[in-house]
Amino acid sequence: MQILFDNLQVLFQGLALGSIYSLVALGFVLIIRATNVVNFAQGDFAMLGAYAMVMFFTGLEWPYWLAFIASLVAMAIFGVIFNYGVYYPLRHRSFLPVIISTLGASIFLQNTVLAIFGPQPRPMDKVLAADGITVGGVFLDSQYLVILAVTMAMVLFTYVFFEHTLLGKKLQATSQDKDMARLLGIPVALMISITFIYSAVLGGLAGVLVGPILFVSIGMGSIIALKAFAATIIGGFGDVTGAIVGGLLLGVIESLAAYHISVPYKDAYAFLALFIFLLIRPSGIFGEKVSEKA
Amino acid sequence: MGIRIHRALVGIALAVAAVSVQAQGTIRIGLVNEATGPNAEAGVYTVNGARLALEEVNAAGGILGRKAELELEDNQSTNPGTVLAFSKLFAQKDIVAIIGPIRSTQTQAASPTIAKSGIPVMIGGTDPTLTKVNNRWLFRGRPSDSYSSRVIADFGINTLKRSKWAIIHSTDAFGAGGMNALVSALKAQGITPVLVQGYTNNSQDFTPVVLAIKKSGADIIGSYMTNSPDVGIFAKQLRQLGLNAEWVGSSSVVTDTAMKLAGPALHGVYSIADFTPDANDESKAYTAKYRARYKLDPDVYSSWAYDAMKVLALAINNAKATDPESIRKGIVGIRGWKGVEGTYTFDDKGDGLRGYNVVKNEGGRVTFIKHIDFKD
Repeated sequence: MQILFDNLQVLFQGLALGSIYSLVALGFVLIIRATNVVNFAQGDFAMLGAYAMVMFFTGLEWPYWLAFIASLVAMAIFGVIFNYGVYYPLRHRSFLPVIISTLGASIFLQNTVLAIFGPQPRPMDKVLAADGITVGGVFLDSQYLVILAVTMAMVLFTYVFFEHTLLGKKLQATSQDKDMARLLGIPVALMISITFIYSAVLGGLAGVLVGPILFVSIGMGSIIALKAFAATIIGGFGDVTGAIVGGLLLGVIESLAAYHISVPYKDAYAFLALFIFLLIRPSGIFGEKVSEKA
Repeated sequence: MGIRIHRALVGIALAVAAVSVQAQGTIRIGLVNEATGPNAEAGVYTVNGARLALEEVNAAGGILGRKAELELEDNQSTNPGTVLAFSKLFAQKDIVAIIGPIRSTQTQAASPTIAKSGIPVMIGGTDPTLTKVNNRWLFRGRPSDSYSSRVIADFGINTLKRSKWAIIHSTDAFGAGGMNALVSALKAQGITPVLVQGYTNNSQDFTPVVLAIKKSGADIIGSYMTNSPDVGIFAKQLRQLGLNAEWVGSSSVVTDTAMKLAGPALHGVYSIADFTPDANDESKAYTAKYRARYKLDPDVYSSWAYDAMKVLALAINNAKATDPESIRKGIVGIRGWKGVEGTYTFDDKGDGLRGYNVVKNEGGRVTFIKHIDFKD
C-alpha cells in the first residue's frame, strides 16, 4: 500500500512540474508558429513574471491578487516591448539573426534583473494560505493544485480562443501564411504583437505560479525553458496540443524515473526521452498536423 | 627644456625618496580581495575585517615597532584575476606577506604562482588538499573540510545519540567530497549510513529523495548541499511529507538566504559554522567591535580576514624578522593562540584550526550549541 502511495506522490509532483513545462512550452509554440523562430528568452519571461511579483507583492506590498494581476499586465506590456525591440526590426531577415537576437535579449534580461534585485534568490507566498492537504497518504501541495488547475484553465482558454473567436482565427491565419493573411486584410504586425503579448503573459504566469515552489531566482527560467523546449520537440514542433502533452509527459517521466531508477540522473531522463523521440519519431507526437492546427 | 628635465629629475628623486622612506617606515601586507564581480559583497566584509585587525595591531604598537599597512588588490572574483592580483603584489618587493582569497578554487589557481614567489600567504579556502600540495607558503586561517564531516558525525552520534544516518549530498565537487569525508568519519565510529543519496544542483523536486529517506528508516540526516534554493525546496518537502529526523548539515543550511527561503521548514536544524558571533569571548568582543565600527553584523568573510591579519602580525613579531623563512617559522610556531574563529595551533603543513562550532536554527535565529575540536 505504501508503495502505491509513494508512486502516486511522485506522479502528482511530476504532473505539477509538467504543467509548468507545458505553460512555458505553449508560449514557445505560439511564437514559433507566428514567427518561425525559437524564442530563447522564453524562460526569462517566467523569471520576469516572478520578479514582477516580487516587486509588487514583496516590494510595494500590494495585496496578493492585485500584485498577481499587475504582474500579468506588466508581462503583457513587456510582450509588446519585446516584439518591437527584439523581433520586429529583424522580421525580414532569416531565422538565425532573430534567434541570436532572442539569445541576446535573454542575457540582457538576466543581467538587468541581477543588477536591480541582486543575486540572492527570493521566497514567494503561495496563492492559497493552506500548505496542502493529505489524501490517503499522498500530500497534495496547495500550490501544485493551483498550478494544475490554472494550466487546465489556460489550455481550455487557448483552445476556445483560437478555435472559436475571430481574433483567434486571424491569429491562426497569420501563423499559417502571412502573405495570404495580409491579402485578406488581417493586420499581420498587430497579430504578431498579440502573439508576443499572449506568450509573455503565459510565461509570466508560469513564473508567478512556480515562484513559491522553486523560489524566485535569476536562473529559474533557464532551467524550466530547457525542459519546456524538449517538451515542444517531444510533442511535435510547433503544435499546441503537443506542447501541453509533451510538458506533462516530460514531468511524469523524469519524476518516476528519478524515483525508481536514480535521482542524480533526473535531468538526464528528460533528455533521454528527447533523444528517443528524435530518433524514432522526429516529428513528435502530434507532429504531422503542424500545418493545419493551431 | 633643460629646466624642465631638471624639474622632472627632482620630482623623480623626491618620489623615490618618499617610497624608500615609506618602505622603511611601514610593514606592508597585501590583500587579494573580491572587490568586483559576483562576490563583491563578500569582498567588502573581508576588507572590513582585515582593516579592523590592522587598526588594532597598529594601536598596540604595530609590527616590530613599525606601522603596518594593507595593500589591496582586486581579483574580480575570478581565478585568472586571482593569479594576476598575486603577480602584481609579488612585484612589489616590500610586501612581506599576503592575505589571500577565501575561495578554494581561486587559491588552487594561484597556488603555483605563490609557490614560486616564496611569500607567506594566509588563505581561507577549506579544500583539505590546498595545504598538502607541495606549497609550503600557504597557511590556512579556517578549519578545513576534513574537520567539518568529523564534527557532523561526532555531534550526531555523541550528542544527539543517533545512529541511522542518511547522507544527502549535491553531486558537485563540494558535495561529493563532503559525502566521502562524512562516510569515512562515520565509519571511523563504526557506523555505515542506511542511505547515501546524491542529487544534481538546481533540482526542482526532492520528492524521490525524501521518499528514499523515509524508506531507509533513517533517524538523522547529514547533508552537504551547495545551493540555497535546493536546501529550501528539500527542507519544505521533507516537512510536507512528514519526516522529522534530526538534520545536521554543512554550513549551507544556516545561510541567510536558505533560512529566508525555507522559513519554518528549517527550524530545529543543526549546522556547522566556523564563525559564530557568540561562540567564545573573542568572537563576542569582535562582533561588538565590528558592529560599532561598520554598523553591520560580521560574518565569516570578515572574521577569517581579521584572524589572518592578527596571525601574520603575531608571527612576524615572534620571529622578529620579515624575511619569508622567518615569517613561516613564526606562523608554524603559533600554539594555542585564541582567535575569533577558534584556537589556532599551526602544524608544519600550515593548518591552524581543527574544529567547528555547531549551531542550531532556533525559530529562525542561529544559536551557538557547542564547539568541537580535534587534536589531529
